[in-house]
Amino acid sequence: MSDLLHAQPFAPRDDAAFLREINVLSLRHLAGCEPYRRMWPDWSGADSLDGIPFVHVGVFKHLLLRTTLPEVRHQRILTSSATSGAVPSRIALDQQSSALQSQSSLAILREMVGPQLRPLLVLDAAESLRRPGEVSARIAAAMSLRPLASQIHFLLADAGDPRSVEWDRLREVIRGHDDLLVYGFTWILWAAWGGADLPADVRSLLRGKRIHFVHSGGWKKLEEVRVDPERLRAALLEGLAPQSRVIDFYGLVEQIGILYPLCECGFRHAAGWADVLVRDPWTLRPLIGEVGALQLMNVLALGAPYHSVLTEDLGRRVEGDCPCGRGGRRFELLGRMAQAETRGCANV
Amino acid sequence: MSERPQLFEDASGRHAVLLPFRLDQRIGEWEGLRTAMIRRCPEPFSREEWAYLVAFLDAANLRAPVNGAFGLPASQQGGACTAAYRPRGPVAVWLPSNVSLLGPLMLVLLSLSGNSLRLKAGSQATDLTAVFLEFARQHLPAGPLGEYLGRQVRLEQFGRDDPRNASMAAEAAARIVFGSDEAVQAVEALPHPVGSMLVAFSDHRSVAWIESAAAGDEALASLIRVFTIYGQAGCTSPSQVVLLEGRPEDALRIRDRLLDLWPRVVRHDPPAYLASENVMGRQHAAAVGWQAVLAPRNAAVLAAGAFDLPPPVGRLTLPIIPAPLAAAVANLPANLQTIGHVLEHPEDPAWLRLLAGTRAKRFVPLAAMHHFGPVWDGWEFWKQLFEVVPLC
Repeated sequence: MSDLLHAQPFAPRDDAAFLREINVLSLRHLAGCEPYRRMWPDWSGADSLDGIPFVHVGVFKHLLLRTTLPEVRHQRILTSSATSGAVPSRIALDQQSSALQSQSSLAILREMVGPQLRPLLVLDAAESLRRPGEVSARIAAAMSLRPLASQIHFLLADAGDPRSVEWDRLREVIRGHDDLLVYGFTWILWAAWGGADLPADVRSLLRGKRIHFVHSGGWKKLEEVRVDPERLRAALLEGLAPQSRVIDFYGLVEQIGILYPLCECGFRHAAGWADVLVRDPWTLRPLIGEVGALQLMNVLALGAPYHSVLTEDLGRRVEGDCPCGRGGRRFELLGRMAQAETRGCANV
Repeated sequence: MSERPQLFEDASGRHAVLLPFRLDQRIGEWEGLRTAMIRRCPEPFSREEWAYLVAFLDAANLRAPVNGAFGLPASQQGGACTAAYRPRGPVAVWLPSNVSLLGPLMLVLLSLSGNSLRLKAGSQATDLTAVFLEFARQHLPAGPLGEYLGRQVRLEQFGRDDPRNASMAAEAAARIVFGSDEAVQAVEALPHPVGSMLVAFSDHRSVAWIESAAAGDEALASLIRVFTIYGQAGCTSPSQVVLLEGRPEDALRIRDRLLDLWPRVVRHDPPAYLASENVMGRQHAAAVGWQAVLAPRNAAVLAAGAFDLPPPVGRLTLPIIPAPLAAAVANLPANLQTIGHVLEHPEDPAWLRLLAGTRAKRFVPLAAMHHFGPVWDGWEFWKQLFEVVPLC
């Protein structure tokens, strides 16, 4: 499925083809997923994207949705990191979608970091790979870089402790290579590397290396410690070769395989097989140029209806061409909706 | 005790209350604070919370616990007293992070008991009790109440592992704990004086029982008002509405009438994150079998269904369930607090017989579900803050 995936990610797109594909996909999920059908009992098609049915991102914390059709072969369950102690989302992955999602993320990442193979350093622990039947969002994001890696090294001894960096392993890799790829969740990248006290010899070994740092997972934790993107960037790039880059991706576990990179001009871009709407939280009316809740869509999610997800993230769609030269829908990501504390009788 | 005994009498006799202040003066001082309260609602109180607090400080409302415990004021002349009541001693109160208006309301009631107070607020949240206490200290004119709040009320904010928890328990003649069952058990386990009283206001849920025939617009508007105060987070909010002896079509009719009434009763939008959560709540409820709809402007989720469906989620999701009375009783929450009712004949003794077989702590008209008073969770706690000295 999806001819759209054959094009360059940010090339001009046939919007009618996207609408056609996502309509077909929605109908497939309606046919194969009873809970989804109950959410949208009267839906039979849309003549514009704002009529495409969505699933609120929070539903995935409470229900494991699956689309059961003869051609769908479910595999593992993808779980979100739930870093704030909340209930994690759970997404049923299927074989065909996983392949498409890998293609998608590879195409988007290649566009941002270049095609050449180089060692990939992952700020996570190898043990995170070894959970049978489940894969965490962190590992899924790291593994999306695997096709661009000549070798993979997990740098943390303990997945839950960003201070557990195995410096000897890092030393060994740095000594042998001038080009490196580093992936970490945003807050881990800061805690383990950017904001960490790197050993003097490691800092010295890193001098002049070309490193692409790729991070995702949001800024919530770093906002709490007042670290902004510029501070993270400056800390990571200090002493490295000028070609080094820090690349911030926005993505959801509920939209696995779809990455929204932050371009040089400060905008997020949707690949040709994805799209973004912004909705008024109180009316769900689509908004152009105004701030509202982001609805993310893609045509790659076959095993469950996570092809169109209404998020709790705020954004603003921006019309017109981006000065960075990339096409695709562009938008500004403005963070999560502000949450007030739940007041009650202490029983929640 | 500088004040002379204050005398009350009821059917059981004449009672002397031994307090270092005049109760009528203290009640008057609280009522007087309302003038300043009407002018300004401090953050983070919502307007509804502040309005409830203003109403709570009405003198007649504050006299109710006194009169309920001791009777009506008696003349100084007359016969001998049967008992004297004096403050039990220092009271320690544990307020968790998200506790609601119950904190400020408790502060007001406890101030009428004459006991010194030590209150522990949650360590991680803005605490309404602290904000109200500060407001009162700032706006009360010089007088006994202001002096009491300044000298005998100590409010601190610290965590559950802080050693001050132990010192609070060690010096308390009465310990009042809001929180989960685990939090109550933790406080109960702290060393305390022999005879120290423990009052636990722990994890509870409430329900509304409505007879379809009595479910007019006024009752439904009342339901909306009561539910929206804290939604599913409130121990006295209706976590579900049971339509007694109702049919599924009655549930849909009530649901749709609530939809019509909602914007007339609630005139402000929920915050964006709650509007968003309601979209989730509607979808989840529909997915698991409820006939769920969103109130205008995504203000709430109204879900008609049955007891055997998986429970819907969301802080502002209100399940509406038609059921025979026996099923309503059988499905009461194990940790039941209040049954708020809309009944054609609530005075019918059959309701009392039925209550005998439930764990309901309160059985009150729907509109009174949140009304806090000197009897709570089955405890006549306010009266118990006094020691009784029999005199004959």
